[in-house]
Amino acid sequence: MNSQELTTLYDKAKQKNAQYKHKICVCCGAGCISSGSEEVLKKIQEEITARGLENEVSAVPSGCMGPCNQGPLVKFLPDNTIYQKVDCKNIQYVVQRQLIDKKPIEDLLIFSDSREKPFLNADEDPFFKKQLKIALKDCGDINPEEIDDYLNIGGYSALDKVLFKMLPEEVIAEVKHSRMRGRGGAGYPTGFKWETVYKYVSAEKYVICNGDEGDPGAFMDRSVLEGNPHRVLEGMAIAGYAVGASQGYAYIRGEYPLAIKRIENAIKQAKKLRLLGNNILGTNFSFDVQVRIGAGAFVCGEETALIASIEGKRGTPSPRPPYPAESGLWGKPTLINNVETFAGIAPIINQGGEWYSEIGTPKSAGTKVFALAGKIKYSGLIEVPMGTTLRQIIFDIGGGMQDDGEFKAAQTGGPSGGCIPAEHLDVKMDYESLLSLGSIMGSGGLIVMDKSSDMVDVARFFMEFCMDESCGKCVPCRVGTKMMHDLLQKICTNHATKIDLDRLEELADYVKECSLCGLGTSAPNPLLSTLRHFREEYENRIRQFEELQP
Amino acid sequence: MSMTKLTLQIDGRSIETESGRTILEVCKENDITILTMCHLKGITDVGACRLCLVEIEGVSKLMSACTTKVADKMIIRTSTEKIKRYQRITTELFAAERNHVCSVCIANGHCELQKLAYDVKMDHIRYPYLFPQCEVDTSHPLYVLDHNRCIVCTRCVRVCAEVEGAYNWDVMNRGTNVRIISDFNTPWGESITCSDCGKCVEACPTGALWPKAVVQGQLNKAPEFISDLIEKRKMKL
Ligand SMILES: Cc1cc2nc3c(=O)[nH]c(=O)nc-3n(C[C@H](O)[C@H](O)[C@H](O)COP(=O)(O)O)c2cc1C
Ligand code: SF4
Ligand code: SF4
Ligand code: FES
Repeated sequence: MNSQELTTLYDKAKQKNAQYKHKICVCCGAGCISSGSEEVLKKIQEEITARGLENEVSAVPSGCMGPCNQGPLVKFLPDNTIYQKVDCKNIQYVVQRQLIDKKPIEDLLIFSDSREKPFLNADEDPFFKKQLKIALKDCGDINPEEIDDYLNIGGYSALDKVLFKMLPEEVIAEVKHSRMRGRGGAGYPTGFKWETVYKYVSAEKYVICNGDEGDPGAFMDRSVLEGNPHRVLEGMAIAGYAVGASQGYAYIRGEYPLAIKRIENAIKQAKKLRLLGNNILGTNFSFDVQVRIGAGAFVCGEETALIASIEGKRGTPSPRPPYPAESGLWGKPTLINNVETFAGIAPIINQGGEWYSEIGTPKSAGTKVFALAGKIKYSGLIEVPMGTTLRQIIFDIGGGMQDDGEFKAAQTGGPSGGCIPAEHLDVKMDYESLLSLGSIMGSGGLIVMDKSSDMVDVARFFMEFCMDESCGKCVPCRVGTKMMHDLLQKICTNHATKIDLDRLEELADYVKECSLCGLGTSAPNPLLSTLRHFREEYENRIRQFEELQP
Repeated sequence: MSMTKLTLQIDGRSIETESGRTILEVCKENDITILTMCHLKGITDVGACRLCLVEIEGVSKLMSACTTKVADKMIIRTSTEKIKRYQRITTELFAAERNHVCSVCIANGHCELQKLAYDVKMDHIRYPYLFPQCEVDTSHPLYVLDHNRCIVCTRCVRVCAEVEGAYNWDVMNRGTNVRIISDFNTPWGESITCSDCGKCVEACPTGALWPKAVVQGQLNKAPEFISDLIEKRKMKL
């Protein structure tokens, strides 16, 4: 297929879609599926057929729409009306009122149980209005299992553009200009990483998409993979063209069977249309993607461990340098980026690096997806410009605290991150600001806690996670996290003295400074940040115990 | 790779050397002591024990000397108070992790862990002993693997794979549950890959691997024999 044929494909997809007056998207992200959305989809399709509307209305599965705890969610396009907690029993009624009578049922609309007046157009609801979706943009509107749906919204046009109108250097320059930073946690500038891989001369190079997502409570990457797999593949292919690689690997954790199924299906479809594989769009650029399934170790998200895992070895990290950009998979220059990073590439190519760089803050450009969880009214997945404050996220978008509780702290960055106390609610959510408070952006987990949370126990929980997930290769992390966990346990059960706290702090510094990989060097973060902002909770427990001593 | 001459500074001393070598190699050549445990000359370095960490000016992280290559004008510090403090903690954690009871150990007096404890002047251990339940594998006709004394340096694993080519040893589990395993975690005596060569035993720094023909306290290993062997093989080529 060549570029012209791609245009023909666009026309075909447009025509096919134009015949429908209405499109019904039933969220078939993992969250909604677990509340029964697949059954809902089936029932809606049956209802459409029963009413003889199949030529006017299409009902398709879609990716995650965001407010995951309100599922199953059903969206009617083009009105953009979303129904929540849809039950198989009232489908007839919903279809009748929404499509035939044109009288939407207010009581079943999204957030109808908590807002005085729910919105007919969901985008006007504060939950959606305050968001800016780039990575998740089309997730809830297209059928992730149909490449036509992706083509209908201009899918693969960015790939077409780079192959015919841009040199690899220009692609890299555009990504650099966007000032995008990697979304896998560390925030390394994406364009610079691409340039480094590009500069190493090698007949073989590789592109890896990191979809291991092991942080407890994180499901950003999962939603992108499940909701818009072609966008990730397009980003990977553009990266392959830019750095000079012809083989890509999508490394996805085994706990995400749906994401694996959808990406495999997407690869197959893209290959059939020659949007992946040999001689893409008739050019001499070839790029293939294979899926590799992770076996559930958190450490396998660390790039050197992930590479070892793809090579069929035990997934343990190795010291860097050499960085993967120089010597990665099978010793070859390798580009490794996060799912969300790749999902942002096509928009940057289509709309320009300049456009992207103007979103967010000067040092953290673009948007970030967060997974809201904990004691927040509307939990789920959101995407906001970098620099949005924590207060805006929790109170404007998330609807405030559950049961009108009092905010105590928000945990960001999972086991590598830290807690942000109430006095810093106005912190801008960007890389630098979070770091200055002793937390990190991480991959985007955001757990909201109220007064009932015990901060020492929070620290203990994350330390237990790191202890269990430590690969055991280096001494500081292997033994240090175990010792720190035991000390935290001792404090939690009110058996610790001042000396224990000193030991704990000494170990935290040691593990942070001496561990081999990021798992170990960041494992003390939850402990250190709760010590920094909630030290009195530690000291109170110690005082209580010491006062009991004779 | 062509070698270029370069000059660097280690602990205030100006040193000339060539590119491509590790900081550890350069230190050894210049009689600068670096504590090591997972390193064994000749086999691949993995940077696991973290004893050899050094400070490099302009680098925010501590770097393991065994895996970091020298560069021109590097300024390296090997024995600052901070590094000494960390080395002592590492040693204490080694000692507290499994069951190291020197007085009844076969390697008493000839153990690298014991020597390390002297080197860092470890007079007591500030962390609670973990006292894990560990197995002793006596199934091999010639040797014993005692997990109680293993510090998971993986020297045995690498020697077996890289020098003997037998690939008998590997690692299983995570965290403090890691164990050195023979084949797919079967008794060593039933191994179908082990060639009974004993190189792992020589390479092991502690009393974790030992020959049955030795009595307590009489074990004297020669890990340098492995390094010599590797050197000699290279000469033959
Ligand atoms: C313990 C550990 C776990 C990690 N897990 C992930 C992960 O699940 N997904 C991810 O993209 N990056 C993860 N990373 C970061 C990767 O090592 C790597 O930096 C990232 O994939 C680079 O992509 P980016 O530049 O697009 O952010 C992890 C790092 C560490 C130390
Ligand atoms: S820091 Fe932890 S996870 Fe990383 S290499 Fe060391 S033991 Fe393994
Ligand atoms: S058995 Fe010996 S050589 Fe092997 S890992 Fe344990 S301590 Fe190291
Ligand atoms: S000798 Fe360098 S890390 Fe062990």
